[in-house]
Amino acid sequence: MNSMNNNVADLVKDVEARFNVLSVDYPKDDQVSFDFDNRDLHSALSYLRSAGWIQLSILSCIDWIDENEFQLVYIIFNWENPIRIQVRTRIDRKEAKFRTITSIYPGAKYYERDVHEFFGVEFEGNPDSNKQLFLENWDDMPPLRKDFDSIAYSDSKYPKREYKTDFSKKAGDK
Amino acid sequence: MKEIKLFLGPQHPGMHGNSSVHMYVDGDIIKRSYLLPGMLHRGFEKSMEKRTWMNNIALIPRICVPEPDTNEMVYAMNIEALANIEVPERAHWIRMLVLEMARLSAHLMAFGGIGGPTGLYTAMYWAQADRDLILTLFEEMTGQRIYHMYIVAGGVRKDLPEGIEKKILAFCDDLERRLPEYEDLVLNNPTILARIKDIIMLPEEVVWELGVTGIGMRSATGKEYDLRKVNPYARYDQVEFDVPTATYSDAFTRMTLKYREMGQTIRIIRQVLAKMPKGPVRAKVDDGSALRWRVPKGQVYSAVEASRGEYGYYTVSDGGTMPYRVAVRGASFPQGLLGIEKYLPGHRIDDAPMWFDTMGICSPEIDR
Repeated sequence: MNSMNNNVADLVKDVEARFNVLSVDYPKDDQVSFDFDNRDLHSALSYLRSAGWIQLSILSCIDWIDENEFQLVYIIFNWENPIRIQVRTRIDRKEAKFRTITSIYPGAKYYERDVHEFFGVEFEGNPDSNKQLFLENWDDMPPLRKDFDSIAYSDSKYPKREYKTDFSKKAGDK
Repeated sequence: MKEIKLFLGPQHPGMHGNSSVHMYVDGDIIKRSYLLPGMLHRGFEKSMEKRTWMNNIALIPRICVPEPDTNEMVYAMNIEALANIEVPERAHWIRMLVLEMARLSAHLMAFGGIGGPTGLYTAMYWAQADRDLILTLFEEMTGQRIYHMYIVAGGVRKDLPEGIEKKILAFCDDLERRLPEYEDLVLNNPTILARIKDIIMLPEEVVWELGVTGIGMRSATGKEYDLRKVNPYARYDQVEFDVPTATYSDAFTRMTLKYREMGQTIRIIRQVLAKMPKGPVRAKVDDGSALRWRVPKGQVYSAVEASRGEYGYYTVSDGGTMPYRVAVRGASFPQGLLGIEKYLPGHRIDDAPMWFDTMGICSPEIDR
């Protein structure tokens, strides 16, 4: 969007030469996003990690319900060359499975559990990814999916509070 | 001896917030431990998708209680990046002032907080009393003590009140005069030293493995990896400050760094007040109404250096009046969950609260 800095341009050139990048975007001057096919994602992450992007800031997921896909986003950072990279890939929403990245970024273990709990994405190779983390005794669909309606869930689960006095009237009304 | 199951917290003076450590102990040595989060899970990320961009300003500071302003900052930075808004110069400086004051209050809380698990409640009372003075300043600046809702997309909500600079400077002088007393009370106190020296080590390779940021990382690696220096936001590239580091990370070192960072924060506040220009403080985001506007399509991540490490939001907009998705990166997520599982075993039960305090673990931001 603004003047792109040279390091970013070099990085993009390098990554595009090595991997099949589906699209590149520049959300900020010091940030770049790569969309990969989900077969390439692990090799791309391993390469970037060895190139200095050692910090996994967050692993998250977006539910694109209209396209029937989940998008996994890995945000990584290089402390020596301060460029933030969004590494993104899309997986099928019906069969939400992906391989773990804990062998590349061990810190991803709990982020994967988090994504599993809130989106139902299964991470193969992460032994604990199916355990519950935040939601105790959860009995519905993963709650951050777009088709989960939190109000309907609460209405079905808990009775509406009944008031003895009608507070909906304005002050002074009889 | 037989292993027994033990819960540390949520009701325990050494615990930080409502979370609990589930541990198996043999004698008083921890054999296995897990954090049991979720007691403060309030579904922020889901709630944000159901509220307008402006409504969320009232919601997000509640994600982290001791340092709420970082939430507002990263949220505003994301919207500004998506909508391509130029923030007025003065607003940048006011934001830095707010963020540094928040850092000071969070550091005071954590530095005095060591009094809880060690039994030296004096430290806690002193620090809370000093923090209260910051909250009073915040009340005058923003109208609120804890959750300020002050940093909004496009700048800050309104300009600083008249004469506040003098009061902030007076407070800085006052605190700076008292800092050596804190040092004597905590860092030179033999009863506390016995509890924090050479305890709860964080080796360098563990930092990289967990992805720990902030003081934890700087105390182990000796590198000046502070986002304010490495990847400056607002106008941090125009103020001078040092980033204290160390290469031996025990609980004592981390406390020392926290103490030294407080001094640097005071230094930054003074420069900010001296260099702050005059001018407007808020730019309009969109032509919509004041409370209901649209943000262009896009996906962006922003992070700031909070008192506990890298604190960031990932924001996705589909061009509507509400965010499509917001993901929160709590600064203490790695050390709070994976750190407790992997590195607490082998320590004694009474050392567990030291990990919580010196690694700055904040359970509301883990649970969200």
